[in-house]
Amino acid sequence: MECVFGLVGNDFAIVVADTSAVHSILVHKSNEDKIMFLDSHKLIAASGEPGDRVQFTEYIQKNVALYQFRNGIPLTTSAAANFTRGELATALRKNPYSVNILLAGYDKETGPSLYYIDYLATLHKLEKGAFGYGSYFSLSMMDRHYHSGMSVEEAIDLVDKCINEIRSRLVVAPPNFIIKIVDKDGAREYAWRQSVADTPAPSA
Amino acid sequence: MGDSQYSFSLTTFSPSGKLVQIEHALTAVGSGQTSLGIKAANGVVIATEKKLPSILVDEASVQKIQLLTPNIGVVYSGMGPDFRVLVRKSRKQAEQYHRLYKEPIPVTQLVREVAAVMQEFTQSGGVRPFGVSLLVAGFDDNGPQLYQVDPSGSYFSWKASAMGKNVSNAKTFLEKRYTDDMELDDAVHTAILTLKEGFEGQISAKNIEIGIIGEDKKFRVLTPAEIDDYLGEVE
Amino acid sequence: MSIFEYNGSALVAMVGKNCFAIASDRRLGVQLQTIATDFKRISKIHDKLFIGLSGLATDAQTLYQRLVFRHKLYQLREERDMKPETFASLVSAILYEKRFGPYFTQPVIAGLGDDDKPFICTMDAIGAKELAKDFVVAGTASESLYGACEAMFKPDMEAEELFETISQALLSSVDRDCLSGWGGHVYVVTPTEVKERILKGRMD
Repeated sequence: MECVFGLVGNDFAIVVADTSAVHSILVHKSNEDKIMFLDSHKLIAASGEPGDRVQFTEYIQKNVALYQFRNGIPLTTSAAANFTRGELATALRKNPYSVNILLAGYDKETGPSLYYIDYLATLHKLEKGAFGYGSYFSLSMMDRHYHSGMSVEEAIDLVDKCINEIRSRLVVAPPNFIIKIVDKDGAREYAWRQSVADTPAPSA
Repeated sequence: MGDSQYSFSLTTFSPSGKLVQIEHALTAVGSGQTSLGIKAANGVVIATEKKLPSILVDEASVQKIQLLTPNIGVVYSGMGPDFRVLVRKSRKQAEQYHRLYKEPIPVTQLVREVAAVMQEFTQSGGVRPFGVSLLVAGFDDNGPQLYQVDPSGSYFSWKASAMGKNVSNAKTFLEKRYTDDMELDDAVHTAILTLKEGFEGQISAKNIEIGIIGEDKKFRVLTPAEIDDYLGEVE
Repeated sequence: MSIFEYNGSALVAMVGKNCFAIASDRRLGVQLQTIATDFKRISKIHDKLFIGLSGLATDAQTLYQRLVFRHKLYQLREERDMKPETFASLVSAILYEKRFGPYFTQPVIAGLGDDDKPFICTMDAIGAKELAKDFVVAGTASESLYGACEAMFKPDMEAEELFETISQALLSSVDRDCLSGWGGHVYVVTPTEVKERILKGRMD
């Protein structure tokens, strides 16, 4: 089941998400990317109801882009997080979105940051955070091994520890994960951790 | 609103940059019955003529000075019916403020609210400006206060002011008589003398109205008997 | 489980001699899982007026944003700060506006009024005010806080003793509550200064 987690290191932030598209007992897809690029220096990892997840993150992404078009400067990570919270909070008492969000970004002035926004629109700035069933394992791993000012190598090592723990202890563990990173050079895909390859459709 | 292309505001700029509707409204005020107000050291008095169209009208049924809140009173020059609309809106505003903060509305706030209403009626479609100027007298944490609000929605705080017929005479008179350390009783006397200046006919307790507010922060309209006493004192 | 207990919280305010103190825990949880240990529930409205919002974190954040907005408008309009009593009435009115879909939060308001008379009060989620002249409590640890305050409170304490008392009351109370804790946040307000202190408690 869904596992999304992330952490802030020395001059970068990392977010990780499983890549399974699940409906009840069926796995429809094992290469579904749940981490979106908000703009050049922001990542938004989301879990929750698949429809809401796609609709909502895309809505935020387009609005962040619109702001940049109109004003010629990008939103800071903090501003984007507060905007996202505002939209979730307004929706909460009308037609709520079931999405939990980890928003990671890098700003020149403030460096890397990670924001936790749950479906109730609770916003909090964190060093490390997680959503879903994976959180029970990844949070514990991060509590044990995380320290401030981690290097990329250390952080990836910790991410692998988390993934390993999830794979070995969670009954309904997803097979594949995607890791994305954001630092001064921008947001980008870092690596995949796959234990099941996506089988290509046989050619006719 | 907006249901016809002619629903724009009637108060439209003339080519010379004037809003003639507002000037007409001021003319209506200028030809109205005289009202004045004086801010004393320990209170405020407002007063007005009460000339009735016929001697057959029961003068006790006309009240030109009204309370907006227990500590704020108001009087007008100009059109009576327009005044009543403003009184109704102001009272509602004061009550809403009280409901929200459980605290009486400060005079400045209420004056601004009523001024905002008057301004709105110079810019909205399908309405005309109010044909009244107001004198608002109140006493709150900021002490005694006297405001004049005009049809344009502009407002000023005055030590003493007058409006309606005889404005200029009354204002000159007030300028001569006014002192900063004036007590409320003196202010009432001065108010009566000012009214008397331009009064056509014999002044009496039945053809003027006086409202006062002192340090008890309770605004009240004087009874004819009380006015008679004051009239006796100024003789 | 009540929605008021979803995130966990402990809030308390006490009156001293020409001063007051307001304190909260620092935990942000989702049921039994701890998300963060640096959450803020108390905010300054102006130099002599503080509000703490217990209960559902998202509603505390939303309500706080609305209150700051309303107070700023008031400051601009009336060119003065709000009196604590006035602010309490505003909070009450804003809460009751949502009578049939309330903010799930129980506020604690503390401030110094005219001639620096301390004022404390709390209210329920729909704005029923409850004034007190000694102390008020709120949150998941409210039962234990009542006990601790009842035992430790003395009238007319000076600022330093008040700080000691409210801190001990808070720390001992959250130890008996699973949903709040992880240290404390204390403000002691006198006519001349605001002292803000972070407490370490049992960090488990």
